[in-house]
This record gives sequence, structure tokens and C-alpha cells, in this order.
Amino acid sequence: MSLSSVFLKTLRDYRIPILGWGIGMGLVVVSPMASVATLVTTPEARAQLASLAATFAWNADPVAVTTIGGYATFKIGVFIFLIVVWPILAASRMLRGEEDRGSLDLLLSLPRPRLRVALEKLAAMWTALLAMGLLIGLIVFAGGRQFGADFVLGDALLFGLDLALICAVFGGLSLLISQFTQERGPAAGATAGLLLIFIVLDMVHRIAPNSEWISRLSPIYYYNLSKALIPSYGVNPGAMLLLAVAAIGLGGIAVWLFNRRDVGGTVSLPRWLRLPERQASRVLPVGDWSLRSVYARSLSKIAMPTFWWTLGIAGFAGWMVYAVQLLETKMSTLLSGNAGFTQLIKNIGGGDASLNAGLLSAMFVFLPLFLMAFAVTQVIGWAADEQDGRLELVLATPQPRLSVLLGRFAALASATIAIAAITLLVCAGSAAASGLQLNGGNLAAAILGTIPLGLLVAGIGYLASGWLRSAADTGLLSFLLAFWFFVSFIGPELNLPDVTLRLSPFYYYGSPLLNGFQLASILGIIAVGTVALALGAVRFVRKDIGV
Amino acid sequence: MTAMIEVESLTKSYGSKRGIADVSFRVEEGDVFGFLGPNGAGKTTTIRLLMALLHADAGSARIAGLDCWKQSLEIKRLIGYMPGEPALDPDLTGGQILEYFAHLRGGVDQAYLKQLVERFELDTSRKFRQYSTGNKRKVVLIQAFMHRPRLLVLDEPTSGLDPLNQQEFDRMVKDARDEGRTVFLSSHVLSEVEKTCNRVGIIRDGTLVRIGDVAEVKAIKRYEITITFANVVPADSFKSLDGVLEVEALNHGQGVRLTMQGPADAVIKAAARHPVVSLTSYEPSLEDIFLRYYEGDGPRAAEAHHVA
Repeated sequence: MSLSSVFLKTLRDYRIPILGWGIGMGLVVVSPMASVATLVTTPEARAQLASLAATFAWNADPVAVTTIGGYATFKIGVFIFLIVVWPILAASRMLRGEEDRGSLDLLLSLPRPRLRVALEKLAAMWTALLAMGLLIGLIVFAGGRQFGADFVLGDALLFGLDLALICAVFGGLSLLISQFTQERGPAAGATAGLLLIFIVLDMVHRIAPNSEWISRLSPIYYYNLSKALIPSYGVNPGAMLLLAVAAIGLGGIAVWLFNRRDVGGTVSLPRWLRLPERQASRVLPVGDWSLRSVYARSLSKIAMPTFWWTLGIAGFAGWMVYAVQLLETKMSTLLSGNAGFTQLIKNIGGGDASLNAGLLSAMFVFLPLFLMAFAVTQVIGWAADEQDGRLELVLATPQPRLSVLLGRFAALASATIAIAAITLLVCAGSAAASGLQLNGGNLAAAILGTIPLGLLVAGIGYLASGWLRSAADTGLLSFLLAFWFFVSFIGPELNLPDVTLRLSPFYYYGSPLLNGFQLASILGIIAVGTVALALGAVRFVRKDIGV
Repeated sequence: MTAMIEVESLTKSYGSKRGIADVSFRVEEGDVFGFLGPNGAGKTTTIRLLMALLHADAGSARIAGLDCWKQSLEIKRLIGYMPGEPALDPDLTGGQILEYFAHLRGGVDQAYLKQLVERFELDTSRKFRQYSTGNKRKVVLIQAFMHRPRLLVLDEPTSGLDPLNQQEFDRMVKDARDEGRTVFLSSHVLSEVEKTCNRVGIIRDGTLVRIGDVAEVKAIKRYEITITFANVVPADSFKSLDGVLEVEALNHGQGVRLTMQGPADAVIKAAARHPVVSLTSYEPSLEDIFLRYYEGDGPRAAEAHHVA
């Protein structure tokens, strides 16, 4: 039954993501509900929370943050990038990924119109997103009931629908971009880059006055116009309709373009945008430095993703430094002598409420997360290379297996160090340009201290790929990252025991912006990463390749 | 003669999946050895064990006297390898791939490399992903030959090559043989091995069933001739002819399908006595040959075990 049509087959392929992302994201939304229930027990605490939320307004609109639904809505504002990852990846795989693998040729050889095949696949993704939204809505409703929220089932379902719509917009965008790229990777990467830009555009109107017109360019702005979990605020039907129209429009254009182009090719660009015709040649690139070793080749291969991640991470960090400067005066007034605020900031990365450094420390908790996410995206390529047979010829040359693995790791380590170093330069430059006073040593510790965390993920990735195939390796690393972040970000609010908090590397990263370089903790992370890499290397040297 | 490859009781299993069991053979230096077998017989597993990509469960494999697993690095300096399903970085051009592998091999004679590129008329500026199947195989074939290895290990090397490039490949194998180099190639096409190799091993279901000179393999080679006549011709009239093993009447007596071994001279002469509409000859796949030759536990199977 589930294989009787392209729609059902595609939906069947999405069954695990529907459950995984639906339940996972539902729990992410519910988590802050538990914490707010314990945080806002007195009118003073409510007032403190409302004021504190106002200082974080750059991130999300602080509306009714002292209610269960309001606090959850405010707190997950930052998770939007996490939620739309799946539709971006799924949409880039939907047609382009299948063309890459050659599986679409067979499907399109069947007596079935190409347009219908594409539409059925798109409909399956939309259905999957609605199912995820439904699951999220049900879990949020159950969580709300548990913690005494004032929203009803309909509100929770509308919240899930709003999420599904923004996901569908980015899925449509990814599908559209994939019509212009030869591979799915650049399509997903470009869409992720646009997502980052849209997140920043949406933030602009909360930081700078009279800049709402800029934020209106971002789909996330329209997503944020609906706050279904706050009954007094409700949803904005116009904004939701706009998102639906954008999703249908982007998806529709993508499918229309797909129907007109060559399978395996890209949409023809106007002549003036096309690259010059390539002439056949028998020339060999004898002097190309990037072909001289496994390390050089690996470095060259990750150069472009590293560039984009650097742009994103350094841009984010630089923007944070600048944003803190904008909020500094307001922060000084609000945080002075307020123990409640100090405690809350501690929970999300601070250690002391020394104004700009304290706030920046809370923001900088995302830096190691981003760098670790970068490491995940790169290290999973190792398992994929082995699985797809791309290591076979390299290992047939007189290169020791250990050298091949370490060459790849060294390239990833170099890229990680480069990202951190450039981020440090950008932050220092941003602080100097905006006049924000920061301890230079602590800033360096905060940014360079993320490097061991990135390498820890890489080490674990190489270890896991000794046994797991690419998809399972990706799943494990993503789960670990989400688990660690959940433990460190939400754990303190849930009063998780110290022994649980210590399971997360973020715990050992600490608050270097406030406390400086924590040598023992960093050495501990390096030691664990080294052990993981060493075990991964031992496994790789002994294992059957491609089995 | 010196042994270039010595395989002794080599065994590899993939859990419940098939592998190879107790495979033993020897390839002398200077031989062109054809490793024949139907799909899934264990050819690639044997080759990947020789290349130290897999670790044997039991037995031993040695190349030039060196242990394939323990001394794999030294061995790989001697070998040019072409996998059955070449997978390479899709974003590199053919030229970049060749230069990359040249560096990984510690450098190659660039003049010879250019000569190979010319010989196969390879456009080195295209990305690997943009190549046709045949051109992808050309890239991998060139990288296997480019450092003039003492031993070439080629897994189904001509699969996907057009006839002109197959001829070029045959010439390159002949050149390698003339230079005293050893070639170990796998195939599931009997006639290809017959044409290129001087010695042959046949593997089926993970077990080596026959090994010997190429002439010995001809003993199991069969082919089919289908003749369509304008009139009804008794099929029995072909039964006793030289080279005919089996006869099957077709089209209500207006055609015959003959299973043949050896020359077809007698059949052609007999057919010429009748008005012939068409005549086609077909070499069955190795699987078909094996299905017939090694079916059941009959005398043919017994013979196979005896020879192996």
C-alpha cells in the first residue's frame, strides 16, 4: 500500500523524520514550560523575568513572557534555525538528490507525467510537515496541560501549523534553488545561508528603530507575527496566509522549472549569466597544490563550506558584539543589583552579571554549538566516502590508512581553527568599532576555546564511522549535539543534577568570556577528543573497507 | 617461474552473506590471469582481499612474496588497481584525479601519463560527475597503468568501454605482458578472457571450481545457433552433426536452436541444403554456461571439483 504511488512512497521515506523531528521539536518547545513554571512563582519574579526578556528582545518579541505559552514562544525564538533544517535538507534531496543518485531516471521512465511525479513528491513533503506540525501541536498541548498553561488544543495546533508553514517556505526555497545547482549540497548550503540572513533581517527591527521595513523582507518576520500559544495575542491569519502562498509559490515555480529542464541538468540561465563554453583539453594540472596530499586535497574540498560557515559564525558573533553595545545602557539599568536576573543569565552561559560581558557570554553559548555543527557536517562526509566507495582507490595507493584518516582530520582541524581565528578577529574589530569594552584575553578564550569542542565532535564522528553507515553516523552526532545543548541550555532550569550537566561538553566550556581560559576543562575535552580519534583510527586501520 | 600472487585457503564471509571459501591459486610473474565467474561469485571479494581492503577470516594471500594484509603498503607500490565500480570525487576533473593519484603514488612519469591520456583520447578538463560511464572507466584505467606497475589488478576492466577502447585496452594488456608485467583481471565474459589471458581461474558461489590454461576453459565454452528456414526442416537431421550438443525445434518445424561446442562447419553445410531465412549465433552468459555445465551434482559437477 505504502509503495502504490510516488506520494505514498515519499511519505513512507519521511516516516522517521516525521516522528523524530515532530517529537524532538515538540519536546524542545515544552522544555521551557517546565522551567517557567518554577521560575515565576512570585510577582517580583514575574517582573524580573519580563524585564530580562525585554533585554533579549533582539532575539524574539517578549510578549506575555510570564505566561507558560508566552515564555515558550519567546524562548524557542532562537530555535527557528534548528526547526527548518529538515525541510531544507529534504527539499534539496527531493529532486536534485535523486538526480545525483540517478534514481530519478528510472522513476521518470515510467508512464507517468514528470510534473505529476514532482507534485506528488512536493505534496508528500508538505504532508510530512503538517504531520510534524500536528505532532508538535499535540505535544505542546499536552505539555501546556501538565504545567497549567492557558492555551487550548486549537491554539497548540495553530502553533504547529505556523511552524509547518515556515518550514514549507524554506523547503520551497531549497527546492527552487536546487533547480539551478548541479548538486543538492550547494542548494542546501545556499538556502541555509539565506536562512541566516533572514534571521538577522528579522532581528533588525527589534534592535534599530524605524527598520521594520527591512524585517518585512524576511519570512521569519511573518512567522513571528503569530503567537498562537499566547491566547491574548493569537495568530495573524494574514501572515499565515502569506506564508502559505509563499510556500506554494516557491514550490510551484520549482516544479514548473523542473518540468521544463533536462533531467540531470540545471535551469538554463540567460546568456550573459552563463559561464563561457568549455573547450575539450588533455592538459594535466601538474602544479596544483591541492592535489599534493590527502591533507591538501581534504583542505581544498572543505574550503568552500568553511568559507560559508565562517561568514555565518563570524558574522553572528560580530553582530552579537555590536548588538550588546546597542543594549548596554539598557542592560546596566536593568541588571544592577538584581539577583534574579543574574541567576537566569548564569543558566544560559553567564557566571556573573557584569553587564555586556555577561550578556555576550549568554549569546556566545551558540558559538561552540555552531562550530560543533560545522564539524558534524564535515565529519559525516568521511562515512559517506567510505560507504560510496570513494576511499577504495585512495587506499589502493601506498598511503597508510592512518595517514589518510589523519590527513582528513588535520584538514578539518585546520578549518575549525581558521573559523575560530577569523571569528575572533571579527569580534575584536566589531568591539573596537562600536566602542564596546571587553577583556581581550577572555574574548580570545571564549572564541578559541570552541576549537576543542569542534574537534571533540570530529573525533567522535571518526570513531562512530568505524561501525556506522553515513545516515546513522549523522543521526548519532546530531542527537549528541541536541542532547548536550538541551542538557546545558535547558538542564539548569529543570534543576537537572550536576552529574547530568557534566555529561555535556558545554559544561566544561564554561563561561570563558567572564572567567577566562579554563585550562583543566579544555585539556579534559582535548583528552576525550584525542581518545575518540585514537580509537577511531585503530578501528579504521583494522576494518574491512566499504562493508 | 616466480609466483607473483599466491593464495592459500583464502576465506572471507560477510555474516550471512556469501563471500569466498577455501580459495587457493597461484599466478606466475608475467602471466595474464583471467578470473572468471558469474555476478556475485566472489571475484571482487578475492580482489579486495588482495588489495588489503578486506581482512581474511582464514588463509593467506601473498603478492611478490609479501603478505597482503601485513605488508600492504609495500605491495601497493607494486600494484595498479582498477575497482569494478569506480567511485571518485565527483567535483574533480579527470586531470585533477590523475594528478592527485600520481602524487599519492609518490610521483609518476608525466610524459607517460600524457601518452596514456592521448591514447584513450580523454578530455581531462571535465569533472568526474560529467563523464559518461565509459569515460569514467578510462580515467580509472589510466590511473591503474600510469606508474607502470609490476602487477595490474583489474576488476572487470572493459565493462562500459566501447569497442575501440576495448581494443586499446587489449593492446595495453599485451604491452604489459610483453614488458614482463603481470595482469590479474576479472571478468564474467568468457570470450574476453579467452582473447586476453593465458591462464584462467573460474570461481562460482565463492569456490574456485577450475584453474588452468585458457585452452582448458574452451572445453566448457558453448554457444547457440538459431536458424530460421523458409520450409519445415526436421530438427533431428542436425542431431548427429559434429559440434552439436543439443537440438530444439522452433516455429513448428521451420527453425532450430542448436547448442554448439567447437566448429560450426558441419551445421552451416547442413543448413545450406535448405532455404535459410536467418541465422544468428549467440554466446550465452557465463551464468547460463555455468547453470548448464555445473547443474546438480551430476558427473559434470564432479569433474569440476576434480579439476579444481
